[in-house]
Amino acid sequence: MSGPSSTSHLYRLGIVLVAFFVAAVLVGWWAVPSSWNFDVDHWYRKDALIDNAQKPMVYGGNESCKDCHEPAMKKLAKFKHRALSCESCHGPVADHVRGNKKFAAAKVDKSRWQCENCHQEQINRPKDFPQFSKTGDIGKFVKKHNLLEKKTLCLECHNAHDPTN
Amino acid sequence: MMPIPSPIEADTDSRREFLRNILAGTATATVLMVFGPGAMALSDPTRRTKNKAKHQFAYVININNCIGCGNCVRACNKENNVPASVFRTWVERYVVTDEGVYVESPNGGLKGFEAVNKKLRQNFKKSFTVPKMCNHCEDPPCVQVCPVGATFKTEEGFVLVDHAHCLGCAYCVQACPYAARYIDPIKHVSDKCDWCYHRVKNGKLPACVTVCPNKARLFGDLKDPESEVTKIFKEDQWMVLKPHMHTDPTCFYIGLPREVV
Amino acid sequence: MELPGDALVNFIFPNNAKVWWSVMIVLYPYLTGLMAGAFVVSALSHVFKIKEFKPIANFALIAAFCFGLFAATPLLVHLGQPQRAYEIYVTPHLTSAMSIFGYFYSGYLVLLMIEIWLIYRPYFTRMANQTKGFMGFIWYLLTLGQLEYNPASAKVDQKIIAVLAGIGIPWASVLHGYVGFVFGSVKAVAWWATALQPFIFLSSAIVSGMAVLFLMYTFIRWRQRQAYDFAMVRKYMAFLWGIFILDYALEVIELAFVVYERGYHWSLIEPLLKGPLFDSYAIMQMGILSVTPLLILGYVVLSNISGRMMIHMANFGSLILLLQVLFMRFNVVVGGQLISKSERGFVDFEWEILAKEGILTAIVLFVAPFVTYYIISRFIPIFDDPAAGKEGS
Ligand code: HEC
Ligand code: HEC
Ligand code: HEC
Repeated sequence: MSGPSSTSHLYRLGIVLVAFFVAAVLVGWWAVPSSWNFDVDHWYRKDALIDNAQKPMVYGGNESCKDCHEPAMKKLAKFKHRALSCESCHGPVADHVRGNKKFAAAKVDKSRWQCENCHQEQINRPKDFPQFSKTGDIGKFVKKHNLLEKKTLCLECHNAHDPTN
Repeated sequence: MMPIPSPIEADTDSRREFLRNILAGTATATVLMVFGPGAMALSDPTRRTKNKAKHQFAYVININNCIGCGNCVRACNKENNVPASVFRTWVERYVVTDEGVYVESPNGGLKGFEAVNKKLRQNFKKSFTVPKMCNHCEDPPCVQVCPVGATFKTEEGFVLVDHAHCLGCAYCVQACPYAARYIDPIKHVSDKCDWCYHRVKNGKLPACVTVCPNKARLFGDLKDPESEVTKIFKEDQWMVLKPHMHTDPTCFYIGLPREVV
Repeated sequence: MELPGDALVNFIFPNNAKVWWSVMIVLYPYLTGLMAGAFVVSALSHVFKIKEFKPIANFALIAAFCFGLFAATPLLVHLGQPQRAYEIYVTPHLTSAMSIFGYFYSGYLVLLMIEIWLIYRPYFTRMANQTKGFMGFIWYLLTLGQLEYNPASAKVDQKIIAVLAGIGIPWASVLHGYVGFVFGSVKAVAWWATALQPFIFLSSAIVSGMAVLFLMYTFIRWRQRQAYDFAMVRKYMAFLWGIFILDYALEVIELAFVVYERGYHWSLIEPLLKGPLFDSYAIMQMGILSVTPLLILGYVVLSNISGRMMIHMANFGSLILLLQVLFMRFNVVVGGQLISKSERGFVDFEWEILAKEGILTAIVLFVAPFVTYYIISRFIPIFDDPAAGKEGS
């Protein structure tokens, strides 16, 4: 019988499929991230570790204030608030210092909320944590506080660093 | 500054090795998937400290110390630029009463909590605040389901997100039993707490731990025998969230009341 | 509304405020199901030699292809970074149900294309021989340059078509089972996490695919003023009815099981089904939308009703089934996410209309396969034998 064999179109189809497959594999090969971790349990792009580590830090911790505020820190170390993070009241160091130089004021919220955020009496707080109340059923009853008006600032009497004072 | 593991350059060798791996490895992987790294490893209490990595980080949350001030949430948001509607960490307040449990987390506890009202206070049994975050599971469901390996567990215990590779399909968000994950509404990729990987790699503590006023949040290296987390881990009085999910979290809770989910 | 977990307020985790998988992810298994279901009809003819379905076998195949082309588009729209979608294919990764789905899905599309190509090869060769100019070139490309079609090759083709259809059945099953697997294997979502999920998805896929195919069939016949094939319709309805009974049984078993088990799952699902999902699940999906077609199709199959009335009833039944499966997809995909992982409250689902993942996009994507079908049907004969001479559509 003349003419094409009964399977010649299938060979052509086969060639197309193989070509397609090879192309797909090649493109895939090329597109795999170059630092891919080829481990059956841990598939990931190793460069992602570097990417993740490169985010700038905003908070510096109390040790970051030391260089410039040594005296204040030394004093503070004796006070009841010594365990606190400076940045929880003064804002992150990155908003205050850039490249070893102060570039913006370290703002501090002097409102009552600043202290109440930690010290207002709340039933959800640990019993032994100092809480100040007008009723005294949970927190420590401070007689003087009874005279306070709603708007009186804590800082009028207290020093934020040395609160017992 | 701690060294950052350097990426292995994609030389021809590793490619060739991959070819070998994919042939042998695919088979291994299938076997692993079916029989799992599971049962044996899970019952092994030392599996965290046994591996080759130099560090094995862990996180401890002490409910007895948490005062619910929200410093951690605020610090986390600033440190990581977290968009307003989502949270890498949040604080919940539970008020357990005779009738049932009130739970709330107004804006993730960003501004702390209001004092509870008088009515609630009359018949309450106990009340406490619970910080929540990514549990950095040993067996993380989010890592398992990610179709592109854009979230992964490092040898040191971090579960990280590869933002440059993530599709934003949210499969990991579904898979996480703790709702610790979200799709960043601005960057449109998945994100979550990463234990401040960038800080830890630079020798600092995570931002939330840094600002916590009452040591409710601790972070440390289980391979360092002196660290607080090691002692707590050894003492073995900790709990984890949703243990029935068998994710084996590396975020240990101390004094976790049974009402907490 | 009763809340799960003893809660006195509706507490949801802050990150649960949004339903992350919304309308697009409802549409994706729906379209995939239509593809798998339509394919089954053609396989019933090619593999199981059900002779009544022979006239619609090619039609079913082309329809399956059209749905298949768009099955993954909702996923693409849903992605936060759609330009990275190719990574699913190229990233070496073996543990994700979704990435494996990618391979199954594209492999299945290739299989469909080969089968269609083999079936339409006689037509392509004839057109390539007859047509000149640009269209002629396209037809020539479609023949892969082989311009002769002889009986010997036809015989070989028929065998391969049967084999491909044979492979296609398990493949379609696995493909759609996989969609169910994607949901069923998520242990964190109580309403999804059941081993029956793949089977429910599979059977409902066949139901919806058969139903949509039937509606298309009657619509086309009606538009073209051609006679209906009543014998085929009766047989078709018997199959549809039977498979829906299976599907419904699976759905009821799944529910009955968790109800009776009274375990962790039911503690979360009970408030869901009695609360936010009551209307769309209890009343609609399991109630009206299931009982009605069961009765109607049962009547069509068991009685000796015939003629227009049968067509009307069959159409009505199919339409309701199509809706039933749509409700089922919605109730599973969105319903599962309504239970906050706090296990103490329900998330509010908000319908979006014009948003990226809104209803409008969904409608466009749902209509697209039909438009594609219409375009394809302009060029190749669908109900006529491709090997026969006359051109039709
Ligand atoms: C409880 C919140 C709080 C904490 C914690 C805190 N500060 Fe302050 N700090 C304040 C307030 C409030 C002021 C402003 C006092 C005023 O104007 O009366 C202030 C003022 C200052 C000033 C201005 C100069 C001065 O001494 O009056 C410096 C410097 C300072 N703080 C440094 C620090 C450092 C360093 C730390 C950490 C070791 C720290 N603070 C921790 C609340 C705090
Ligand atoms: C690079 C040095 C440097 C570092 C580091 C630094 N500061 Fe300052 N800070 C300054 C200087 C300079 C002033 C201005 C001093 C003055 O006016 O007496 C200042 C002032 C302040 C003030 C008073 C308000 C103001 O802005 O004038 C506060 C509060 C303060 N710093 C807090 C902090 C805290 C908290 C940290 C640690 C997180 C810190 N600073 C770290 C340099 C530094
Ligand atoms: C970030 C939380 C925080 C903030 C904000 C804070 N404190 Fe404190 N405060 C503490 C901690 C922690 C202690 C130490 C408790 C202890 O050692 O038992 C403390 C102790 C005190 C004490 C001593 C209580 C006692 O009798 O032992 C006083 C008084 C006090 N703070 C006042 C203030 C005032 C006033 C402010 C507002 C400027 C303030 N605190 C802001 C956390 C905070």
